[in-house]
Amino acid sequence: MLAILQEKGGSIKPTHMMYKANLSHSQMKTYLDELIDKKLINRENTKKGNLIVITKQGKDFFFQYSQMREFEKTFGL
Amino acid sequence: MRIVPTPDWFLGKDVLIETFSFIVLLIFTVLALKYYKLNKNRNIFYLGLGFGLIALAQLATIFTKLVLYYNIGPSQAIGQAIITSQIVSSVDIFYYAGFMFHRFLTLAGLYIIYRLPRERKSIGDYALVIYFIMISALLSREFFYLFHLTALVILVLIVENYYRIYKRNRFINTKILMIAFGILALSQLIFILPGVEIMFVLGNMVELISYTILLALIIRIWKYGKKKKPYGNNLRYAGNSSGKRRKH
Repeated sequence: MLAILQEKGGSIKPTHMMYKANLSHSQMKTYLDELIDKKLINRENTKKGNLIVITKQGKDFFFQYSQMREFEKTFGL
Repeated sequence: MRIVPTPDWFLGKDVLIETFSFIVLLIFTVLALKYYKLNKNRNIFYLGLGFGLIALAQLATIFTKLVLYYNIGPSQAIGQAIITSQIVSSVDIFYYAGFMFHRFLTLAGLYIIYRLPRERKSIGDYALVIYFIMISALLSREFFYLFHLTALVILVLIVENYYRIYKRNRFINTKILMIAFGILALSQLIFILPGVEIMFVLGNMVELISYTILLALIIRIWKYGKKKKPYGNNLRYAGNSSGKRRKH
């Protein structure tokens, strides 16, 4: 979900997220609650409607995660 | 008998190269431990441990050489005497202990990196390997080439490991890693060759190239995390197998 948010420039509509992540409504709600709880994403009400927005903490976590995956892949771990 | 087979004009420069190597190894150790905290993959921890031991080995040799070259501490004249007059007395136990630590920790660290992709063995196997590494490190005092020969053998095995991994994943970073370890193996081969002083300089230069490549690899990995991946690639990096998306 963080990857999708990054890809979409940091914000996305919940319905779009649901389709892109290939999740059911209840599954997405569980994951969103967890990510909001960990302060990795936020929900924002804008003129465009309700949006899911990645936080700075979320971006940092995603960068670190990408680096870690790259590191693991390099060493074949 | 000479402790460090370096020509006079190279004194200190080898310490600089070792300091650079230490920094590179330390970065690898810190990164590995940081990633271990993130996903609790024990292999990453062992990789960090391997690099950490080699970093400690470099630190041991840097510290010993600093005392030896620049007369720091209580053994002022003794260090100089060892380099210039090639006198070895009972006081130089400190230097031998320092270099012994260097040899033992380097071989142990390399062995851990070599063992990583393979399945775990019993404690007895590890005890046996530690014993052999200890023997190599101790005997290298008399036969200096023994340490470099042992390191060369382990490094060749590491290169072979990464070659197999590269054949499987075709990943450019693994290729860079393989080349870096290959060059490090070459440096060990150079250290073994006769013509001690000039080979010592050449070996150090080759080692420097190897660690520079490893540093470039770290920068590459670090920059990759910061880079925005092309469409679809983020999903792969997020570990999501459903990265293949539907066509609308």
